[in-house]
Formats: sequence, structure tokens, C-alpha cells
Amino acid sequence: MARIAAEQKFEVSPAALAPANGGNIYECEAVSLELFPHGQRRLIIDRLSLNVRAGEFLTIVGSSGTGKSTLLRLLGGLMPASSGSIRFRGSAVTGAPSGVVVVFQDYSNALLQWRSVARNVALGIEGKLDRAEIDRRVRQSLQLVGLEKNASDHPWQLSGGMQQRVQIARALALKPQVMLMDEPFGALDAMTKASLQDEVLQVHERTGTSFVFITHDIDEAVYLGDRAVVLAGPPGHIHKTVEIALPRPRDQMRTRQSPAFLDYRAEIHAAVLNAGGH
Amino acid sequence: MRDDRFNVPGALTLLAFLAAWEAAVRFGVVTFAYLPAPSAIALAFVAIVRSGELFAATVHTLRSIVIGWVLAGLIGGLLGLVFGLSAFARRYALASLEVLRPLPAIAFLPVALLLFNFSLTTELVVMIYASIWPMFVNTMGGIANVAARLHDVSLTLKLTPLQTLVKVLLPAAAPAILVGLRLCLGTTLVMAIIAEMIGNPHGLGYAVVNALMAIQPEQMFAYVLFIGVLAIGLNFCLILAARRLLPVYGREAMSHV
Repeated sequence: MARIAAEQKFEVSPAALAPANGGNIYECEAVSLELFPHGQRRLIIDRLSLNVRAGEFLTIVGSSGTGKSTLLRLLGGLMPASSGSIRFRGSAVTGAPSGVVVVFQDYSNALLQWRSVARNVALGIEGKLDRAEIDRRVRQSLQLVGLEKNASDHPWQLSGGMQQRVQIARALALKPQVMLMDEPFGALDAMTKASLQDEVLQVHERTGTSFVFITHDIDEAVYLGDRAVVLAGPPGHIHKTVEIALPRPRDQMRTRQSPAFLDYRAEIHAAVLNAGGH
Repeated sequence: MRDDRFNVPGALTLLAFLAAWEAAVRFGVVTFAYLPAPSAIALAFVAIVRSGELFAATVHTLRSIVIGWVLAGLIGGLLGLVFGLSAFARRYALASLEVLRPLPAIAFLPVALLLFNFSLTTELVVMIYASIWPMFVNTMGGIANVAARLHDVSLTLKLTPLQTLVKVLLPAAAPAILVGLRLCLGTTLVMAIIAEMIGNPHGLGYAVVNALMAIQPEQMFAYVLFIGVLAIGLNFCLILAARRLLPVYGREAMSHV
């Protein structure tokens, strides 16, 4: 019940809740990526097939070199795949699809240092909506990440965790159906990381947005996810998929101490070790 | 430059230097035939202010500098933008431009003189040719070195190419572009003086040569020192303007400007 009330407050586009194609918002089939650094052919991702269900929180774990970030760039339309098909809501991804937005790990590079927090958040909607609607969305987005008091600050005046919140708010202002997050909390301390995890879970719950969340932190993958995909490589491919049936809402204390959490953690840990990688 | 307070030790050093110069000339310690004492230069300065010669020459030179700076800034800036944005342009045409760049503009002056005669055109052509380069190189570098991440951000937020340029790339490159504008202004001033000495008989550069020919060393020194002050003044104006335009970049970015 609480969820429905919150959704009305944020006015999620109905498409985020009513999926096309049998509940899958993303469908990837036999996706490969080859690059040619120094003229040598290198296979980065090898015939990877993966669906993302609408409304799902999907986490992707793997050691470095398994193509996690590259996979996210492909999903976000930031680079084209060499072969295979990536479809977002039924249509092939060519360029960044509308309704999808990427949040990057290096928040200080990803924010415009010369713009205030509010104007950073407005960057993706400026010129697309009228003034009043932009102001409203900026306010709502900043509220969702708890930064409404910092609207007129500049990014360099904020802590790392707050800067990452700005980047998340900027993504939320577009009211995306899917948020693609590339190790967003990888550079943050443990305390900040925990509170941002809970904020992202709240956003997920309130807005019904689907998440694809890359991490190398197994605990994080279990804590956040409805499903965790373990990548192996190079070249990157899916090693194992684990459905995580932990109850929601999740709780930093109770969830992490539950036997089920520890079982999932052990299972994924074993899978990551098995998968190898660099 | 960072410290806005009046630099007392620096001013004292300058005063001591002037006093030593005055004394050296008066008491015959140095006996160059045409080295005037600072006091004589000051008198000559008052004379050229009174006669209006200084004002007329300054107006001419300043006008050339402004025209030359604006045109060189525009041409260099646009070229830099194209080359900064397009790896294709860099691959195919940068080598040709790099051949032209080290060619000293002064060597180009006789060519310009032959083509355009003793005229303002000659002066401007030489000025612009020389001062395009710092603007070009800095703008190109500024745009090309914008963090790759900001291109990703523009893509994922679905900015149009024009929005990306105006809202992301140009502001990100603004400190480098300002460095270009400042170097461009310095070069414009130098080339204006040289061009006026050789190619266009007007302005402060010509006034210096004219005083030399007339064997009026006091006047010549007065013009030379005035040109120095003018250069400092122009530079100062640009720094002030840059600080007002770019306050949010903070001190770090501005220290490069």
C-alpha cells in the first residue's frame, strides 16, 4: 500500500510498471564485443544472453576483466556491440535509448563542476520540459536522495557520497524506466555506502524503476538484488545466475545477519572464485 | 597575481632601481651617448601627452589590437573548436597547420608588405597570423581533453550535439580557452608594435621608431615604457573580466588564466 501511495507522489510513467515482451524490459541475445587495441583482435564479451525483467533489481558481479562495465555501456547504448542483439522494450538499441540512464562510478568526473547541484540535476531535462516542471522534478529528485538543502551548492563543496547522490538525482530527474549503475559506490567508505544502498532500494521501491547494478562487492550484490548474475572471463560471459529470494524491505542489520543472506553470499562467492578472471 | 594587496617590497625595489639609474646618469657613472635619466624621460612623457601625439598613437594601436585580437580570437577559436571536436580533422589537417605554425610571423611581414603595402591591412594580417596560434592550440587542447566521461554523460542524458557543445564542452574547456585568449592578446600587442615599426607608419610602434630617427631618446624611452604599461593594463583587464565571468571555477582553474 505504501508503495502505491509513493508512486503516485512521484508519478512514474505507466510504462515502467507495465512491461512489454513478457515482463522483460531488456533482452540481450548472443551479444559479443570485439575490440582491436594495437591492431590485435580482442574478444571482450563472448555471446552473452541476458534478460532484465521490468521492475527488477538485477546485480552483476564479477572480478575485474570480466567485462562488467563494458556490458553496462552496451546496455546504455554508449557503444555498439560487434554482434548479437540488444533490445530495450522490444526495439533494438542503437545509441542511448530514452528511458535508460547510466550512473557512473567516478562522480567527480561525471558532474559539471561549474554548475550548482540543482543545475546539474536539471542538465538532462533542460529544454525538454517547461520551467515549472523542471523545478518540480529537480526538487523531487533531490528529495529522493536527501539533498534538498544543497540545491545551490557546487559539487566540489560536497563529500563524495553527496556528489554521488547528485548524480543519482540527475538520473532520476529523467524518470527513467531503467537505471544502469556502474559500481556507483565503489569509491565510497563503508558507512556512506550502506546509506546509499538503502536510498537506492527506496528509490527502487517507490518508483518501480528497474535497476542493473554492477558491483565487485558480493555482499552488496546480495543485499540489493532480486537476482545476481556472476560474470566470468575474459572474454566476459555469464557464469551463473542466482535468484535472491530475501524479503523486502531489506535491512542493513537483519537482512545481512539472516542465514539465507549468508547462504547466497557463500554461493555467489564460490561462483566468483570458480569463474576466475584477473 | 593571487594577492590583491599592494606589493610594497616590489614597489620599493622599482623605486630604488629608478633612483640608481637617475644617479648613474647624473653623476656620469654610465656615459652612453643617448641614455637619458628617468627625470628627462618623465619630462618627455609630459610633452607627448600635451601635444596629443601619445593619445593619437595609442588610439591607433589600441584599435589595431582590439580588431586583431577579436578576429584572431574568433578564427583561432573556431579552428580550435573544429580540430578539438573532430579526430578526423586532426588526422588529416593538423600536420599541415603544424608546418605553418613555427614559421615566425615576423618573417612573414615583408610578404604582407609586398601584398598589402604600408597599411592597416598589413598590420592586421601580420598580427592575426601570429596570434591565431595560441588561441587555436589552447582551444583545441581544451576541447579535445574534456574528460571522456563527460561525453558519456551527454550521451546518457540524451543531450543534442549542440547542447553538448554549449552546456558541457565549452564550459569544461573555458579555462583553457581563456589562457588562449590571454596569450593571443599578448601576441597581438607585440605584433602590432612590430608591424607599426616596419609595415604601417602609425601608432605607438611607429612613434618609437620616429623618435629614434629624430634622435630624441627621452621621447623614445617614454613611448617604450608606456607600451609596457599598456601591456600590463590590457592583461589586467582581461584577468578581471575572466574572474567575473568564471567565478565558479574557483581559484584553482583561474591560476592558469
